[in-house]
Amino acid sequence: MIADLCMHLADLVQNSIRAGARWVEVAVERDGDMLRLGVADDGGGLTADGRRRACDPFYTSKPGQRTGLGLPLLCQTAEQVGGTFSLEQRDEGGTWVTAELPWAHPDRPPLGNPTDTLLPLIVTSDGVEFTVRLRHDHALWELDTREIRAELGEVPLTHGEVLSFLEEQFRDGLELTGFKEEA
Amino acid sequence: MKLEELRQIRERVQDELRLRGGSARVRIVVGMGTSGIAAGARQVLRAILDEVSRRELGDVVVGQTGEKGLASHEPVVEVYEGDRVTVYGGVDTDLARRIVSEHVVNGRPLEEHVLEVREVDG
Repeated sequence: MIADLCMHLADLVQNSIRAGARWVEVAVERDGDMLRLGVADDGGGLTADGRRRACDPFYTSKPGQRTGLGLPLLCQTAEQVGGTFSLEQRDEGGTWVTAELPWAHPDRPPLGNPTDTLLPLIVTSDGVEFTVRLRHDHALWELDTREIRAELGEVPLTHGEVLSFLEEQFRDGLELTGFKEEA
Repeated sequence: MKLEELRQIRERVQDELRLRGGSARVRIVVGMGTSGIAAGARQVLRAILDEVSRRELGDVVVGQTGEKGLASHEPVVEVYEGDRVTVYGGVDTDLARRIVSEHVVNGRPLEEHVLEVREVDG
């Protein structure tokens, strides 16, 4: 059950990792009344057929699995609130998924809590670097695991002290961008 | 980003890592495939990270993996110790915390929740 938008994002991140991505960007951006969710990666991407059928709940690119519901569910969520959904091939390779939803629509799912849903994925995905961007108009917060790892050397992101640090960073970002009341 | 803070963490923790020769005693891996996530693997992963960090278990590494082919037993958690891996099924956040406190810390596997124990190449 996907109850909030961060869970949608976590699903897309999981898709990216499965597609062999070494870098994933997760963005939550709000301009006025428009909320944009985006996940970009440098993974294997989808075929043209796969991209066309991204919103089809009965299509999956994963052999042996009947359905891959991540994309269709987000697609459906966006459509239900009069928003848009797009899935594109990046010029550099990989995929770029975006969904735009009107912030004030009464049926827009809550944003959810990225600290609970995204951070565990980020710290435990070995060999995958993440950029996380939260932006509300001009208030911008970014986190790049490459910068963090460069400072940490051998110390893993899952170390308790690092985890606490990252949680605090996420909280700061949510506060700065005003996405916090949703969490 | 307070990078200075990270530098301080690194200085503190690196000594700790050096003292135990850099290698982890236990590796805990959560199955995060689609069925695992649907069954609550994200909350389980979060609970494990939280418990390991709260108990300051510096010699435990936490990771995740894709589908384990055990869909009906998701969420699945594996505990690697040397050449032995203990596989737990139907893990919720409460059991996840007990796996850390009982199995990993006290060395007493929770037999009634173990799906299998395998030997692996250490």
